[in-house]
Amino acid sequence: MIPVHELRKYDIFLDLEPNELTSLARIADVVHASEGETIIREGQPARTFYVMDQGNLMIAFKDGRALALHGRGEVVGWSAIIHPTQYTGDVICLTDCSFIAFPGSELLRLIQSNVAVGTKLMRTVSQRVANRMQFIAEADKRRLKGGR
Amino acid sequence: MTALAAISAADGWLISALGISIVFSGLAGLAILIANFPRALAWWDRQSFESLGPRVKAIFRPREIKEKPPGAPEEVIEEKDLGDAEAALRILTSFLGEPFKLPRVLELAKDRIHRPHSAINRLLLKGTIVADPDGLFRWQDEGKGAESLDADESMKS
Repeated sequence: MIPVHELRKYDIFLDLEPNELTSLARIADVVHASEGETIIREGQPARTFYVMDQGNLMIAFKDGRALALHGRGEVVGWSAIIHPTQYTGDVICLTDCSFIAFPGSELLRLIQSNVAVGTKLMRTVSQRVANRMQFIAEADKRRLKGGR
Repeated sequence: MTALAAISAADGWLISALGISIVFSGLAGLAILIANFPRALAWWDRQSFESLGPRVKAIFRPREIKEKPPGAPEEVIEEKDLGDAEAALRILTSFLGEPFKLPRVLELAKDRIHRPHSAINRLLLKGTIVADPDGLFRWQDEGKGAESLDADESMKS
């Protein structure tokens, strides 16, 4: 468990009410990872959802494409709350990192039992993920159009 | 007649002793050679390494692993080291071509560059390495470098 006020630092929790934040804080934990550490491996069961507190990381996909994320509030490991709960890329810390970690099963249970939390959280996470993944989708479209 | 009796009968004690000493000397020599083999290889490696140019040396410099106490503040790579890392990474990526796959570069750099993750991160934040829209990366051309203090500041946060 972490103090509720810790969660207020992150944009993705801004819409949540105090009691909703308390529910989230109850299942959250702080996790540290060292430079060079792979905290998520592609293909492994997605058991944890992370919100980055500090550090810099890289999400690497199987085809070699990658995404570098810097700073507080970035989310990784969203596969933990999306079927088939299997990580879709490697997440490698480029510097020492710290995260707020949520066990996927407990977060999923919370989302399913509390519609308000689920709706707000999923909306924010899906927006972020959509923005982030846009480059891959667009590149694929261009490649198909250009017949590369 | 037993073996020992045969040696006695043939007056072969001297030649037997000579044979035994030759075999044992050979085995001892072999053991010494094998025992010193790692040292010889290390010397050979050093000689080969010294004969390389400075830029290539930078690539093959063994990675230094320093134990860090938990909670210790993160060390920042000095500008000179970052310059060396950049030079080494440029050589690596010249083999891969541009745009390059950053995970592949990182994989190649792991055992060759001092703190490759941090170095790549610094270069990303400085805008020396930039991401293409399709998730591949390339070097920012000279003159277009987007070195920003903001980026460095955000790295520290």
